[in-house]
Amino acid sequence: MKTFLKYCLQHITPVLLMLAGVNAVKGQSPAFVHVPAGEYKVGKKDYPMNPLRIVHTDGFDIAATELTNTDFEKFVQATGYVTDAERLKNALVFEPGLREFRWLEDSTAYWRYPNGISRGGITSKMNHPVTCISYRDAIAYCQWAGVRLPTLDEWEIASRAGASTTYFWGDDLLEISTYANVWHGRDHLKADSSDGFLYTAPVASFKPNPWGLYDVYGNIFEFCEGRAPTDEKNSRVVHARGGSWWCSKNSCSFFNSVDIGRVKRGASFSNLGLRVVKK
Amino acid sequence: MKYLMFVAALFGVLRLSAQEETEYRDPSKTSQSYGDYRGKKTVPPYGLAKVKALIDKTPFGDDESLRLSNKDYMGLSLREKFTYHLIHAEISAQNCDVRPPIQDEDKKIFGQMAEGFNESVWSDRQSKFLISNRDSVMALIKESVNRSKRMGANYKMAITEVNGWEMIPFIIDLYNADHKDRDLLTLLMLLLKNNEYKPFMTSLSYRKLYGDDGNYQSYIDFNKANEDLIMQRARDFYSTRGK
Repeated sequence: MKTFLKYCLQHITPVLLMLAGVNAVKGQSPAFVHVPAGEYKVGKKDYPMNPLRIVHTDGFDIAATELTNTDFEKFVQATGYVTDAERLKNALVFEPGLREFRWLEDSTAYWRYPNGISRGGITSKMNHPVTCISYRDAIAYCQWAGVRLPTLDEWEIASRAGASTTYFWGDDLLEISTYANVWHGRDHLKADSSDGFLYTAPVASFKPNPWGLYDVYGNIFEFCEGRAPTDEKNSRVVHARGGSWWCSKNSCSFFNSVDIGRVKRGASFSNLGLRVVKK
Repeated sequence: MKYLMFVAALFGVLRLSAQEETEYRDPSKTSQSYGDYRGKKTVPPYGLAKVKALIDKTPFGDDESLRLSNKDYMGLSLREKFTYHLIHAEISAQNCDVRPPIQDEDKKIFGQMAEGFNESVWSDRQSKFLISNRDSVMALIKESVNRSKRMGANYKMAITEVNGWEMIPFIIDLYNADHKDRDLLTLLMLLLKNNEYKPFMTSLSYRKLYGDDGNYQSYIDFNKANEDLIMQRARDFYSTRGK
């Protein structure tokens, strides 16, 4: 009996949820995916940072793609907003040759030059995700645009597309290259453009998940709202999820539906950006 | 109707099963306490009160990082700078630099050591200081460890930062004193790896910890054979390199 129940849980629920998701996607504009109200399984067994549990949502509309440089430029042109990286000159950028988890502080870097002026600007990359913005910058954009960041649970529900596995397609890491712009090199000492991109890729360059969301794993980490169970009581860190072009299976395999990253709210990295949810 | 009853029953059952699965198994107390032990820093004594006072009076920046002004920083002696760097990292760590809690941590020898700083890493000026003063840094670490009989996560990080292979005999002696801190074995392996010591680079342990499928949680079992092998390789490397 127990085996039968386990079979139902593992095989029937994802199918039902996936069908609900696909139907919802068909009824939406291309830019947003509707996630219907209901109960969803999130987290992972024996994983303190994100324990396995059932959560409820009243439903939400989440952007099919990450926010692009074009989108962010409209905000800056309309408001004259100055990002944290421009103001504080503290952006952390990347170039091949750095040891694992090492980034360079570059006073010239900001969203128009996400890895510093010497590594090129975004003129030909307006359809890439905006990066080198802090959590505060992301919130400022959301307030202007009348949208919001997804909660940690919402992001996870949307990324899973009904699956209960580590990735929306199952547990096999090897499929990542079909769906995400990630780092394929063993380390970061040498450049890796084996998937066509050293840094970010244009949004929706890779295959979407079954609900029509692109780049949920890879390309850039996406800021979320909410607290992780392992956050210290007075911690002021914020969270971002989903992995990035920098992340490799060897050094940071956070390109999945389970892991939750944390970062200081004023930090600007060239692998951090956002995906929005309708208010 | 029968169909609806089936769906209702199915969801009821699914919820029960899901609740069963939500039961989280905490790592054992021994594992947790060893995890805490691994992550502990050693606090250097050199000018500690002065350095702490300077840090306390420095406000957090808008980016929530904290770094001494150039004037305050340049006013520190070498030993005080050592203390500052070993208790405080100046810039933000990237989002994914998080180590998830580990089951049976006490039964493993990891390929990577525990981190000494949360959400922060050494800035360029801090790394440059440590590397350009590597002899002094190693001497101060020895002096401090001889006093406290312990080498915190931050000290081990500093040794890898300066590629302190000359400290191998010291690290082995410290480990042999109580065999408690397996990150000392990890430190030895990182020194072998960073110096591309061939007998280690071609070993099974290397492939498991740092090979194509290795990651930041990779480990080998903690047992006497592995313990001895790591120390022997480190001794062999030291005797070769030292000549």
